[in-house]
Amino acid sequence: MIQITNLRKTYQGVDAVKIDHLELYPGEVIGLVGNNGAGKTTFFRLLLDLIRRNEGEILSKGNSITETEGWKSYTAAYIDEGFLIDYLTPEEFFYFVGKLNQLSKADVDDFIATYHVFFDGAIINKGKYIRDFSKGNQFKIGIIAALLGRPELLILDEPFANLDPSSQLRLVDMIKSMATDYKMCIIVSSHDINHVSEVSSRILLMEKGSIIKDIAGGDAAYSEMVDYFKIR
Amino acid sequence: MNLSVFLSHQWLNFWRSRNANKSLVIQIILGFFYLLIFIEIAALGIALPFILKEKMAATNPISIYTSYLIYYFLIGLLARFQFQELPSLSIQPYLTQNIQRKYMLRFLNTRSLIHFINFLPIFAFIPFTLVVVLPAYGAMAAICFCVALFALVLNNHFLNMYIKRKTVNNAWFFFAVLVFIAALKGLDYLKLLSFEKASSSLFLSILHYPLLCLIPVAFALFIFTVNNRYLKSHLYIEELVTEKKRKGGKSFAFLDRLGDIGEMIALDLKLIFRNKRPKSLVILSAVLLLYGFMFYPKYIATNNDAMLFFFALMIIGIFIANYGQFLFSWQSSHFDGMMTYNTNMHQYIKAKFSLFLTVCTLQFLIASFYGLLSWRIVPIQLAAYLYSVGVNSFVTIYVSTYNYKYIDLRKSASMNFQGIGAMQWLQSLAITFGPALLFFLLNRFAGFWYAIIVVSLPGIIGLVFHEAIINWLVKQFNFRKHKILEGFRER
Repeated sequence: MIQITNLRKTYQGVDAVKIDHLELYPGEVIGLVGNNGAGKTTFFRLLLDLIRRNEGEILSKGNSITETEGWKSYTAAYIDEGFLIDYLTPEEFFYFVGKLNQLSKADVDDFIATYHVFFDGAIINKGKYIRDFSKGNQFKIGIIAALLGRPELLILDEPFANLDPSSQLRLVDMIKSMATDYKMCIIVSSHDINHVSEVSSRILLMEKGSIIKDIAGGDAAYSEMVDYFKIR
Repeated sequence: MNLSVFLSHQWLNFWRSRNANKSLVIQIILGFFYLLIFIEIAALGIALPFILKEKMAATNPISIYTSYLIYYFLIGLLARFQFQELPSLSIQPYLTQNIQRKYMLRFLNTRSLIHFINFLPIFAFIPFTLVVVLPAYGAMAAICFCVALFALVLNNHFLNMYIKRKTVNNAWFFFAVLVFIAALKGLDYLKLLSFEKASSSLFLSILHYPLLCLIPVAFALFIFTVNNRYLKSHLYIEELVTEKKRKGGKSFAFLDRLGDIGEMIALDLKLIFRNKRPKSLVILSAVLLLYGFMFYPKYIATNNDAMLFFFALMIIGIFIANYGQFLFSWQSSHFDGMMTYNTNMHQYIKAKFSLFLTVCTLQFLIASFYGLLSWRIVPIQLAAYLYSVGVNSFVTIYVSTYNYKYIDLRKSASMNFQGIGAMQWLQSLAITFGPALLFFLLNRFAGFWYAIIVVSLPGIIGLVFHEAIINWLVKQFNFRKHKILEGFRER
């Protein structure tokens, strides 16, 4: 799915991201952990070609993400509010993203309906612009909009941080089933090592821009992370 | 916690805001610009009494001056609707602090008074009072006259604050007052009812019976109290700022047929109509359509085709210039998203061009009615239209790829220089003065029709080869894409 070689991004001479080699495969749920400033969000932005890398290459299905734009058709992301058009209502935003993915309004309506539990009656048909929603609800809108095109690569930055407990658990289930049902490659960053170890099939631990651990998810990963973060 | 602390915070807020960190050159240009406006207004204010004295020697300058005061205050109210903001949000961080409400109210009221519009009367009233009223009626009358006028300014000020706080939809009120003023002027013009005379006699009576100035003072106090009481009982951020109306629903169904590009244009239209700053710019573009009535007749009479062309460019091209100067910046708050949604840049840029083309065509069609003034207007406007869509639109898109500045959509447009860089100034010069100069030279040395054809030609070429130009623009955009994104993330 994604092949990274010699990726390097520096700010004022300091490495923000430095990854020599990394491959991501379909069907994987990758949990990205690391303390603040480890370079998680910068890495995500590099994956989406939102910042210019100093060195290296990122290939998506074998094509450079800078030279081509085809990756946009199967890649979706939600990093922050910068991915929401805040003067639209949620419905309008879904229709907009849906249309770009060749979905009709009816398709979008059907799709949204399957997530009504996740939305908890707080999003649809409220007559509010996205900018007037709470941060948690904006996050829900962003996540569902990212799912609209049934992407093959999904990038979520700290999705658990702003959600209420029920939604966090629902999201864990959603991510797991999407990866198995649709063979999606999902990358999730989080500070919640509980959720991350539960949801991920593979965990990448970042420190000062580099990936210092690349381990399989599960209980063993959980205790390894506890050990790592305790020292700090 | 006294007032000066609040105000010093505001002062810091002004100087430390993101957009205050502009380059020195821009600061100097802006400073010069402000100074120029200031000097002009001061000079006009000081010269006014002398002009009136000289030109209207036969009639009484005071009666002329006072007859227009009614319009001054009405138009002032209108201007306030448009330009004056409620400073409500600035108290948000203080609400949870140990500060008594009355201090916050005092701050809100004082803060709202510090506004450009409230400093104008100093120049409009005081020189006139000193030069004309004082010698004729004496000190007592002059002082009371001034007191009455300033009381009316405050009256307008707090009335506007109150209306803005009370009503959700200012636009309706704005047009009501506009129609009211037009009706007054119309009745005056048709000599049915003279409000100018009424205005004059009202203010003259203050000069004869100075104590009458207490009436406007009482009015001002009354509206101030009403406003204050309302504020006191609504000192919650949500009640002070949010609108209660149900949002959304308005869609542009006719654009559906255009596919993804139509969807992008609809997005731009929603951006315009749902956000303060672009909305006021577009309203300005619509108002500018009326400028023809002001300028065309004069230059038709003097056969000055170059000036006609210059104003035609302004009238028809203003949307491109106004909206286009921040073409990508308007979307700066969600540009990360725009760059990852499932679209390609060609489509994105083409949608921008199509928006320009659509609106500009609309402006051209409406402006065509000016052809009734003189047939020469028709070819001149056609040339201006072709130049605008075929050249200026692409130039504007190109220049936009150099604009890395974030824009907050919700701030109002007046005196808002957020996101303006040196490029924008150069651009606005280049896209109006350049072709106007070309037209002037050709018209003078080669003839009217040569000028029309030569100026239209690049526009036609641009339209014919628009696909190729868009491809080139996409390349230009991609060169600077990361820089734009980085700039937009800096808030």
